[in-house]
Amino acid sequence: MGPLLLRRLLTALPTLAAVIILSFLLMRVAPGGPFDGERALDPATRAALMHAYGLDLPLPEQIGRYLWRLLHGDFGPSLVYRDFTVTDLVAQGLPVSLRLGGFALLLALILGIAMGLFAAARAGGRTDHALMLGATLLTALPTFVTGPVLVLLLGLWAGWLPVSGWGDGDPAHLALPVLALALPVAGAIAKLSRAGLATALGQDHVRTARARGLGPVTVLLRHALRPALVPVASYVGPAAAGLLTGAVVIETLFALPGLGRYFVQGALNRDYPLVLGVVILYAGLIILFNLIADLLYGWLDPRMRG
Amino acid sequence: MTAVYEVEKLVITIRGVTVARDVGFRIQQGECVALAGASGSGKSQCCLAPFGLSPGVASGSAWLLGKDLVGLEERRLRAIRGRDVGFVFQQPLTALTPHLTIGRQLSEAWQQAGAPRPTRAELAEALARVGLDRPGERLEQFPHRLSGGQRQRVMIAAAIAHRPKLLIADEPTTALDAAIRADILGLLSRLRAEEGLAMLLVSHDLAALADHADQVVVLNDGRVEESGDARTVMATPSRPYSRALIAASPRLDSPRAPLPPVGAPLIEARGIHVSFPRPGWRRGRVEAVAGADIHVAEGEALALVGGSGSGKSTLARAIARLGPIDRGDVRWRGRPLPARQAMPPAARRGIQPVFQDPVASLDPRWRVRDIIAEPLRHLRPELDGARRAARVAAALEEVGLDPALADRRPATLSGGQAQRVAIARALVSDPEMLLLDEATSALDVLVAGRVLDLLESLQRSRRLALLFITHDLAVARRLCHRIAVLDQGKIVEEGPAERLITAPAHAATRKLVAASH
Repeated sequence: MGPLLLRRLLTALPTLAAVIILSFLLMRVAPGGPFDGERALDPATRAALMHAYGLDLPLPEQIGRYLWRLLHGDFGPSLVYRDFTVTDLVAQGLPVSLRLGGFALLLALILGIAMGLFAAARAGGRTDHALMLGATLLTALPTFVTGPVLVLLLGLWAGWLPVSGWGDGDPAHLALPVLALALPVAGAIAKLSRAGLATALGQDHVRTARARGLGPVTVLLRHALRPALVPVASYVGPAAAGLLTGAVVIETLFALPGLGRYFVQGALNRDYPLVLGVVILYAGLIILFNLIADLLYGWLDPRMRG
Repeated sequence: MTAVYEVEKLVITIRGVTVARDVGFRIQQGECVALAGASGSGKSQCCLAPFGLSPGVASGSAWLLGKDLVGLEERRLRAIRGRDVGFVFQQPLTALTPHLTIGRQLSEAWQQAGAPRPTRAELAEALARVGLDRPGERLEQFPHRLSGGQRQRVMIAAAIAHRPKLLIADEPTTALDAAIRADILGLLSRLRAEEGLAMLLVSHDLAALADHADQVVVLNDGRVEESGDARTVMATPSRPYSRALIAASPRLDSPRAPLPPVGAPLIEARGIHVSFPRPGWRRGRVEAVAGADIHVAEGEALALVGGSGSGKSTLARAIARLGPIDRGDVRWRGRPLPARQAMPPAARRGIQPVFQDPVASLDPRWRVRDIIAEPLRHLRPELDGARRAARVAAALEEVGLDPALADRRPATLSGGQAQRVAIARALVSDPEMLLLDEATSALDVLVAGRVLDLLESLQRSRRLALLFITHDLAVARRLCHRIAVLDQGKIVEEGPAERLITAPAHAATRKLVAASH
């Protein structure tokens, strides 16, 4: 395990650097700039602003300065939210997104794997078909459809749950967005684990387990489930990074102060440091979760440790 | 004395197709009954279906300790499987759960009949009893760290851990090396005597059964051909099918026809070294072949024999320029053979390969005619379509296949037909040497016997040189002038086949010879 971790960390740094430089250049290639508004600024003010943020320097020097500050943990100032640094903005939004995404991930895993298990236990039966049809529907419905439907059913008609806002972290406020965010992921996990279980249940070692007189539940949970989750792990790794760094649609629908809006607004406003900050966070999480997925493979199926 | 297990008029159907009918036998305590037959004879179904371990549906009766298994619901069968029976399956590679340690699986088997959780010492002792070295260390290991033979020992330890009355071993040695087979069968016999087990042994290797079974039931196409005392059936089989089955696995003392004469030197390889990077996350390289010299003359057959992992395939592929090579000198008719990447197509015509798994070595989407014609397109580009077609037809006929098969795809062929197609593909460009890499190992006994017949006749009619890779000395002896024994990447002994078998000098050779008797 040690060598794998070391190798991954060594490849992570150049990957991150490439992501940063590419995003930096792409942002600059996009037309417009951070100070373009409805009304054009007068050239003198504009030049002063550009100078103040170092945007008038040659590009290589800008990249160099940015990377140098990054090494010191400084993500730079936001160009649009005046008086806020990127670190301030991320520090506000990230805890909200982490909680939303974390709970959604957990719920999706529990729900999805449970659906997969039930379907596999009743393979070919009516439960199986119903569950898999449900899973397809969940994956197919976008969150901007399921979100409002859930609000209507559980919030407005039943009146059980608050429909919008953060409520200072009140769990009830989080329930609907977490559910809406988790459902499509749960559908995908259900289908992947069902398929994985179908393969695992056909294997020789399952027959050995059955030959020991073990009941169907023990066979399923102890002997079949772990290898069946390998495809789930490769899907959940990258999906988790997406969930945790802010679900724009859900955060907008439920008026949550998460990270997602900075992604969108930062890009629209050409707020270069903000976009780069969020991209670095996202890329870092992707790398981290892929590493976790790789470690999981080794646990799910020790043969993969080589 | 009542029988532990008694089967009467057993009929098994799978999705409406009858795979066994009117099968009957009885096993007393401490006795071993063997079910023998070619693949598809229904022998595995006969031992698994009554216990609910196959998709087959059983009717008739199967009495275990006075209780009829036929018609019992799954819940009851499960209890009986857990308490009274132990199973050993064919594939030790896949029959153990990959993500559970040996210790956990053995512990699960130990407790399956309700015994209290075993201590580590008890588990280690159980492993030591089946002949595993360093048993304490094994408990923490995952199955993939063990060799095939070691895994099968673990399977056996788990199968008897709950002290069953009946042990069912379904082809327990088929997937193992010849050298290990005898050890595993010996272990099963010893445990049977110690525990007073009744044993049902399934095998297609009739000859090996003589030493280990009391009774033998020969199955053909789901019916009992003959049954009786194992030694009697083996010595004086009364039915042609039994005789064919016995003859199909050649013995070291079976008569052999004189081999064709040998001509001028064809291929000479000196100082061959091949190494591979270590698998997984470890550093360094493993030496698969460490300085081997071999030579084959026109019309001569050389057998490369050794256990799995001894480097025999790697060596053969390296000199035929089909696999990697670190260093070493290879000459074809006295001239250096170009390196793998620099090999002109025409130079490949001389040596053509046939591999172990016939189905995997044929492209599933191609038709047989295109598969056989492919080497011609590259190696004999001067031939036009009509001449190619004629050669394909001739090759099919030469390997004993119906020309009508030319339009079929590999998935619709039997294993034996597929291997004949692979041989036809190798022959079509008129090579001077065939590289046969375990070419009969994956085939059923009867089919393998007929493929060997074909190779023998080709050897004579075409004066083909053969480089014959096998782990089976008796097969090697039948076709080959000389045998080279590989062990850990080195040729440890080499000489005329008959001499090497009657007077083996090296320990590895002696072990192979002992395993073939």
